[in-house]
This record gives sequence, C-alpha cells and structure tokens, in this order.
Amino acid sequence: MILVIAILTSIGLACAILIFIMNKVLPAESEALKETEKIAGCLPGINCGACGFPGCFAYAQALARDKDLIVTNPCMTVLQDKKMLGDLEKMLDIKIDPSSMNKKAVVCCTGDPETIGNYSGIETCKSANKLTGRFKRCPYGCLGFGDCAKVCPQDAIQIYAASGRNIAVVDPEKCTGCGLCVKECPNNLIKLVPADTKIVFLCSYDSIKNIPGREKCFRGCLHCRKCYKACEHDAIIWNKEKGIPEFDSSRCTL
Amino acid sequence: MSNLLSIFIVMAVINNLVLSKFLGLCPFFGVSKKLSNAISMGAAVTLVMLISSLSTSVIYNYILIPFNIEFMNIIIYILVIASLVQIVELTIRRTNIALYNALGIYLPLITTNCAVLGITLINAREGYSIIESMVSALGAGIGFTLVLIIMSGIREKLEVSDCPKSMRGLPIAFITAALLALAFLGFSGMM
Repeated sequence: MILVIAILTSIGLACAILIFIMNKVLPAESEALKETEKIAGCLPGINCGACGFPGCFAYAQALARDKDLIVTNPCMTVLQDKKMLGDLEKMLDIKIDPSSMNKKAVVCCTGDPETIGNYSGIETCKSANKLTGRFKRCPYGCLGFGDCAKVCPQDAIQIYAASGRNIAVVDPEKCTGCGLCVKECPNNLIKLVPADTKIVFLCSYDSIKNIPGREKCFRGCLHCRKCYKACEHDAIIWNKEKGIPEFDSSRCTL
Repeated sequence: MSNLLSIFIVMAVINNLVLSKFLGLCPFFGVSKKLSNAISMGAAVTLVMLISSLSTSVIYNYILIPFNIEFMNIIIYILVIASLVQIVELTIRRTNIALYNALGIYLPLITTNCAVLGITLINAREGYSIIESMVSALGAGIGFTLVLIIMSGIREKLEVSDCPKSMRGLPIAFITAALLALAFLGFSGMM
C-alpha cells in the first residue's frame, strides 16, 4: 500500500521535474507563437471545431495571419459572449460589430426566361451548367434545380412554391446568413447582403455585350439607366466596366 | 524477426485498433473529414503511440513487475503518457514551428486518447518486451493512420454524392465505418 503510493508519487514527481527542466532548457518560443498564444487565450478554448479549423489554437493561428477571418469565418461562441468579444477586439485592435454580420442571402435573379431546349441529365444546377451550356434563354439566370435549396440548413430556399416561377427564392425570415448557398450556385447568383438593406439589384449579367433585356427575359435589366438618373441622393453608382448599377446603402433614404 | 513481423501485421490490420477493437473512435469520426487533416492526425497518433509504448513498457517491465503492482498500470500509464505528450509538444513548439503547425495542434487532442492508452494496455496484457511493444505500437499507429486515410477519402467523396438528406454527415459516416469494419473482418483469417 505505502509502496504503491510511494511509486506513484515518485513517478509523478519525476515527470514534473522533467517538464520543469525541459521548460528551462529549451529555447524560448518565437514571438509570433506568443502572439498567437495571446489570441488563443481570448477564444473559448473548447476545441469544438465548428469554425472548420482543428481546435481553437489553429483558429488563432489563422486569425493571426488574417484578421478579417473573424468577419468572414467568425467563431460563433465568441460572438455571443460580450467579454470574450471585447478581449478579442482589444487583442486584434479591430472593432467587431456583430450586427454588421447579420446578413441575408438573396438570389439575384427574378425572371424565369423561356426554355430553348430540353435538359434531361442529372438534375442539379452544377451538372446542367457544365454539360449543356444553357437551356434557358438568358445565359445568366437561375436554373431552378435547387442546389442551393438542398444545402440550406434552415429550409429557407424554395424553388417553385414561393414565386410560381422556376427560380430559387430566399425567405428572409428563415435565412440566417450562413452563406452555404452562395458557394453552391454555379452562376454566382446568390449574394449575402446586410439584413437591413432596402435595395438590391436583382439581375446579374456581367457583360454589357449580353444584356438580358426584354428579348431574353421578361424581368431582365434593360440597361436603360433610369434608376441611376432617378436617384436624387447619389445612392446608385454606375459601374461602367460591368454596366450595372451598384448601391451605396449609407446614402439610401428609403 | 518473424515474430516481430507477425506482431506488426496483427496490430496494423487484423486487430486494427479502430475497426476491430473500436478504440480511438472520436478522432476517427472527428478528424476524418479532410484527407490532409487525417494524415497529420495519423502521424501525430503514431508518434505518441511510439513514445508512450516505449516509456510504459520500460516502466511495466522494470518497475511494476519487480514490485508486483501490475494492477496499478492504468493510473500510472495515464500519468506518464500525459506528461510525455506535454514534453513532446513543448519540444516541437520551441524548436520547429513548421512541424508544430503540422502535428502540434493535434497533440493536446490525443493526450490520453483511448487508442494511445489502449495500445499500452494491450502491450502489458500480451506481456510484450520493449522491442515488441515498439513494433506493436508502430503497427497500431500505421493501422490507425491507414483507416483514417481510407475513411477521409470515402467521406470526401460522400460529400458530393447524392445522399438522402436525413443520412447526410455523421449517419452515413457511421454506416461507412460499419462496412469498412466488415471489410477488415476479412483479414482475421490471415493468421
């Protein structure tokens, strides 16, 4: 009995002394690692992996390289804890506004142009986009197979039911702005916009040589610039390169 | 020599830690989403298994057996493995940043992982000598890495496959693991 206690204590003591000696003998860790250590101290430290990194320390390392990561790939646990958020702001010397991260997805296509051919392959937007080119008249529009709806964890995207047309529509009430659908769309039609935005350009051609117009789509942008001329507050900025209107929501008075 | 080889093969495929002993299932499901992570994790586990098998078999053969206190092995093993992993992490961190980025972040996650503890206890139960323990740990580590790599490869493919919504993610991973274990059952006739 006493022998067991003695052996266990001595092994524990030996390990402790070994760690102590190693700590003294080894060279000091690099400055960058110390900095990362400090950032990791502001994180929850529960290694849940929800951010996609293997553990909080790996997230801290990525954060030390790129501060914007807290906006583009935020740690949800930190965002919900005021104290942790404050510490992290101080550490990274940036201001984080959780409400600005409150975003919604919108599908930038409202028209359902007539079909010019039959597609009978695998029923996903990705394969349809890759294999056939386009079977709808507008080359930019929503294909309506609902790749985005399949990944939505909130069931916020519906294809036909909400609009009566064969295009995806996001329900702003259900959308949490997670951005999963943005990556899915092969035409890059889905955008994340601030939740309080009043005005969004819902057509998404990217070349002025190929404007949707009336002949391709009943709801397509005509490129008439009427919106640009009508706005009295300069909230609409004309992107000359792409030939599309862009919005400055801080000037919008709607 | 043939004895060592047979220990290696038995630990790597026949008595595979994950698929026939069901040890180390948490990293098996947790870190098998991406191939690159799986390789790093497998390497870290193999390293820790080798180190802990060496130290625990020394302690078992030269301290526990002479004093006749083999029943204390679990508690002493946990103590020794935890401190050794600490020392290894400290060393990698202070001396080699590149290696630390590749392996070090996984080390705290496997400090007293059941696979690591399991292999040392299996060594003790089988009465392996120090060399035999090292070979069995190497085999177990490589078997673990192998299964992790197979699993992550399958899961990367499963991500893009057309799978019923209710089965996506972990449920289909469990079924995959079961089928994989069934396939590894075929090795049991080898020896």
